[in-house]
Amino acid sequence: MELIKSTSFDFIGKRRIAYVFSAAVIIWGMIVFGMRGKENFSVDFIGGDMLNVEFSQKTSPALVREKIRSLGIGYYLVQALGSEDREFVIKSSPGTSAQIIEALQGTGDTQGDNLLTVKSKSFVAPSMSVDLRKKALYAFIVGMIGILLYLTIRFEFRFAVGATVAIFHDMLFALAVLALLRKQIDAGVVAALLTIAGYSVNDTVVIFDRIRENIRKTRSDDYYKLFNNSINETLSRTVFTVLTTLFVVSFLFFAGGEALHVFSLTLMVGFIIGTYSSVFIASSMLIEWHKLSPHKFKV
Amino acid sequence: MMRQYYYKLLVIAAVIAACIYLIYPPEKKIRRGLDLQGGVHVVLAVEETEKQPGVISDLADRVLEVIRNRIDSLGVTEPVIQKEGMDRIIVDLPGVQDPDKAIEIIGQTALLEFKLVSDDEELTQKAVSGEVPEGYELLYHKEKDERGIYRETDPILVKKEPELTGKYIKDAYVGYDSSGFPDVNLELDKEGAALFEEITSKNINRRLAIVLDGVVRSAPSIRERIGGGKANITGRFTVDEARTLAIVLRAGALPAKVDMIYREVVGPTLGRENITQGFRAATYGALVVLIFMLVYYAAFGFLADFALGMNILILLGVMAMMRGVLTLPGIAGIALTCGMAVDANILIFERIREEIKTGKSPKSGIDAGYKRAWSAIIDSNITTLVVGVILFFLGEGPIKGFGLTLSIGIIANLFTAVFVTKSIVDWVMITKKIEKVRI
Repeated sequence: MELIKSTSFDFIGKRRIAYVFSAAVIIWGMIVFGMRGKENFSVDFIGGDMLNVEFSQKTSPALVREKIRSLGIGYYLVQALGSEDREFVIKSSPGTSAQIIEALQGTGDTQGDNLLTVKSKSFVAPSMSVDLRKKALYAFIVGMIGILLYLTIRFEFRFAVGATVAIFHDMLFALAVLALLRKQIDAGVVAALLTIAGYSVNDTVVIFDRIRENIRKTRSDDYYKLFNNSINETLSRTVFTVLTTLFVVSFLFFAGGEALHVFSLTLMVGFIIGTYSSVFIASSMLIEWHKLSPHKFKV
Repeated sequence: MMRQYYYKLLVIAAVIAACIYLIYPPEKKIRRGLDLQGGVHVVLAVEETEKQPGVISDLADRVLEVIRNRIDSLGVTEPVIQKEGMDRIIVDLPGVQDPDKAIEIIGQTALLEFKLVSDDEELTQKAVSGEVPEGYELLYHKEKDERGIYRETDPILVKKEPELTGKYIKDAYVGYDSSGFPDVNLELDKEGAALFEEITSKNINRRLAIVLDGVVRSAPSIRERIGGGKANITGRFTVDEARTLAIVLRAGALPAKVDMIYREVVGPTLGRENITQGFRAATYGALVVLIFMLVYYAAFGFLADFALGMNILILLGVMAMMRGVLTLPGIAGIALTCGMAVDANILIFERIREEIKTGKSPKSGIDAGYKRAWSAIIDSNITTLVVGVILFFLGEGPIKGFGLTLSIGIIANLFTAVFVTKSIVDWVMITKKIEKVRI
């Protein structure tokens, strides 16, 4: 079977639309991110308690919130899991989970048989969250340096810069979407962002590889046309490599349960955007650069 | 010429057999993380309560010994108790039944006591069968077995009332006796020295048990009256044993505050749910990938599917060999490996299609496809591997598990997607004398 035969889309010609789209989402997302402040981060990174509780009977989130509000314990966040309104994740200020569990016993129930099960609970002291934050940042920086170093060794400087811009674009885009969807960043999201950086650069590498090959083969310096051809020639593999990975990630997202929810969401957004940026952003960067200072590409 | 193909197929078969041997039976060979079996994960921060000569790191060592001593009495199957950095202690208790009790036990302060041993064999036997004499209690000695796990060994009958407690201990350290064996030197403060002199003078030739949190760590005999607050404990210690005993002795008077700064309790239900959901999602995802490859690349897709199956097998085999921990993100990592592993084959197959379209024969088209796709495959695998390795070394708990499966999967991928598929293709092309390929 062959679904994508020889194509000749003008990808490079559409680059300005892509710039506007990307800039709009990223800027909007970053504004929301800035406004949310601490809410962007899960208890891992700001310290606090997290509970996962399940009632034996249907219980409304509003009722759960009401019970916790009456405790007057400051910050808390209640999130219902699944569609049955029985399971909840509750995040709150450090050291308050015992009070919450007590308050929720026998909630919304006159006979007293709405049993509460604590499925998991965690506590992160503020001092520990500083550590976790540092560690995540450290892993992130080391990971990025590793990837960028490898790209610089393997490709000409301008290609490496183009791929780097695409990587940062993908991660910022994913962060923006998380902020817009009001999701919280935890250690899993940091791991997902790094995975996006490591994986979404693959499509870019495949396209750059082809550009290099075509420059060598044709000796042409009509880069606009040559870049477009290279993207079109590799389009089927760009699409299908990410598609197989997306199959898996969407199953993790839809069927993997709460623990993998934000993690797989981040991956899903990042992989889709990674492919989009390989086609529309990475190569376009090289074209823009070449327009500013027309040097031939060394191969 | 033919022989080298058979050798390659032999290598492939051997790898498969080795991995199956390593994995089987999976529920015993693959260790599961806390998020998959429930349990307790705690991080403790050790803080000095008074300025003392001696460093925080040494203090943490002593706290660690105290905690290990207590955890061993809980009977958890595979506890992990380790120091991290200078002043942190990590305690992992997988599958613990009563997490709240475990946390309470970890959080207590250490109690070190010296108790007189009753050497009356008959009384001890009676106590073991349930008749503990008035004023005595039955404790157990603990020793490391050959695998380094503390096990309860001989019962010891001791006086309930301690002769001395840890608060009189000034210091304890490892030294060497006149014949060169390691021994433990104990120093007591002034008050302790007086008490100790009295005890030793009254009980020469009896044994004095060193009891930490209700567990006998050593029971040396009193040879002589000891004055001046300096005692020597000799025995056929290894350096390690002597060091542990010194730490136990110093644990008695810990000038430390232990703070629980991170605590995670996962109930067994959630652990089971995580496993079921994680595996279901991963399996469905993998199935869709397998079907897609089969439909889209026909016979070559079958080959890629075979390689993918082998990739997962190697992944699990290496996990079992390394005694790596499988976590929920680790399962996600395996699933992702399924999605990413076929990428290499897609790159190769698309390239083969292209080469054949330019009029090359199947044989040279396939060779060129593998050769030309190689650089892109290496580049893409290395960037992802960098991430996997860093998450393994710098990540915590579940994320470490993700880094582990991702890294192994990517490395195995280079072998299965390239070497394995190429060997099989070559073998088929030659033995079946294929002139035309459909890809």
